[in-house]
Amino acid sequence: MQDKGNKLPNASGSNLEPEQITSKDVSKSYIRWHFANEIPHSFDRYLAASLLWAMMPILRKLYKDDEALRAAYKRQLLFFNTQLTWGGGIITGLMSSMEQERAREEYNREEIKMTDDLMYNTKAGLMGALAGIGDSIDSGTIQYIFIAIAIPWAQHGSALGALFPFVCFATYQVLIGLFFARQGFTRGRNATTLMQSSGIQNIIDLLSILGLFMMGILAGNYVKVSSSLTFHLSGREFNIQETLNSILPGMLPLAVVLGVYWYYTKKGLKVTRALIWLTVILGVLAAVRIL
Amino acid sequence: METLTFWQSLIIALWVAAIMSRAFLGGATLTLRFSPLMTGLVVGIVMGHVAEAMIITAAIQLIYMGVFSPGGTMPSEPSIAAAIAVPVAILGNLKPEAAIAVAVPVGLLGAYLYQFRFFINTFLGKITDRAVEKLDDGAITRSIVLYPVIASFILFVPLVFIALYFGAPVIADVIKALEGTVVFHILEVIGGGLAAIGIATTIYVIGRREYIVFFLLAFFMSVIFASLKITMVTYAILGALIAAIFVLVKSSNNRTASTNANDASGFDDDDDDF
Repeated sequence: MQDKGNKLPNASGSNLEPEQITSKDVSKSYIRWHFANEIPHSFDRYLAASLLWAMMPILRKLYKDDEALRAAYKRQLLFFNTQLTWGGGIITGLMSSMEQERAREEYNREEIKMTDDLMYNTKAGLMGALAGIGDSIDSGTIQYIFIAIAIPWAQHGSALGALFPFVCFATYQVLIGLFFARQGFTRGRNATTLMQSSGIQNIIDLLSILGLFMMGILAGNYVKVSSSLTFHLSGREFNIQETLNSILPGMLPLAVVLGVYWYYTKKGLKVTRALIWLTVILGVLAAVRIL
Repeated sequence: METLTFWQSLIIALWVAAIMSRAFLGGATLTLRFSPLMTGLVVGIVMGHVAEAMIITAAIQLIYMGVFSPGGTMPSEPSIAAAIAVPVAILGNLKPEAAIAVAVPVGLLGAYLYQFRFFINTFLGKITDRAVEKLDDGAITRSIVLYPVIASFILFVPLVFIALYFGAPVIADVIKALEGTVVFHILEVIGGGLAAIGIATTIYVIGRREYIVFFLLAFFMSVIFASLKITMVTYAILGALIAAIFVLVKSSNNRTASTNANDASGFDDDDDDF
């Protein structure tokens, strides 16, 4: 292994011994991540600065040597982008555990098995996959279940319509994030296998199905597309929407949702482009009074 | 026509900046940004019309149902949209549907503004690098938390303030003039269809193509049972039960399949899009 971090000055003297990392430290680290999260989001490193800021107190406890500490700071400041709770939680916990192992190896002057590469590859391998799950389940599904519950209250002019989903979802995120951070820490390197275990796979399956189911409910309730086209045929008025309803109610909203989905499968996840296309198509069809 | 006072405009602008800097309660800004509801409530409190504000915001929320930001890109900024559209609708005494006409274009413009923040932060990152070299934790913290927050406030407060203080009455007049024209019909149609984007995005990101039957099942259930006014909680429980039954059957199948090696059904092949 040719890691730069291996070339360390001699760790001598008992004052250089790494302190013990407790689950309280990990929770504090996660709370720091939860707070900083998107604040320093940049084009080159995305959320790396937030991860560094989250890890700082732990790294201070582990590395009493300036050179080693600087190397650790830089290690946690490499490109990083993931989702707040699933990705951020598991990875802050996991990095705490891996840095602890690294600090121990350095202090005992053992051969460094916890290399920079291993740590970065673990982080990079998990951040994308966990972001996909976390985004679709947290932001995409659970958030909208709370919002969908509260919408009728908002429609009646109640402030609860705004407060309920905000308080519920914000609390849920802190709790689930802390849970994942502790799990990541206690399982250590096994956290990579955590995602493959059948229990977790079943939970992801269950939440994926629930997510798709709720999307169906949202689409049925909140996508409003109907034809306003009417024409006269031998003195009688024909309304296209009534005809469509008599064949299959909800045909047009479903066609729009599946159309956007089909666009993604062909062109990849180009959300802004899909939005512009849909706006143009709906706008033109509305202007000529087909919709 | 009524206008917003200096202080009303400033408070709303500060609220938007607090969310868009992502600093207000940190991770909690996620839902404050994705959903217009809390911003609508704050506008209602500031203007002294909570009930009207909530009704208008609910209409805006409907067009953003399902919106989130996979990989950090978001096509629209619902909270900025609400910060401008709700005051306009209250000042002009507009219908909630008219607020959508304001929210859609403002939300799109807001998305570009948010991207600009990443650009500024890229430069601030150089300060972080220097502070890491010196191992100065105070300077690192300032470069990661304080400076990006200040930059966001400088970016968002003046723009939102000007849009509200000077722009809101003008926009309200324009929208009033458009009421009843074909432009309005177009905006209403677009507003009605836009929720499809968020929903399709979520389906795609969940990435289980073979599970799309559950989406279709729920869609037709909600269309068929629309007149029964079944609540979201009921649907959520129903969905969880259906999912649980499916997972139970699948995992018991897997157990028999492991003893009976050739029995793996096609349904278990996870050919995800990722």
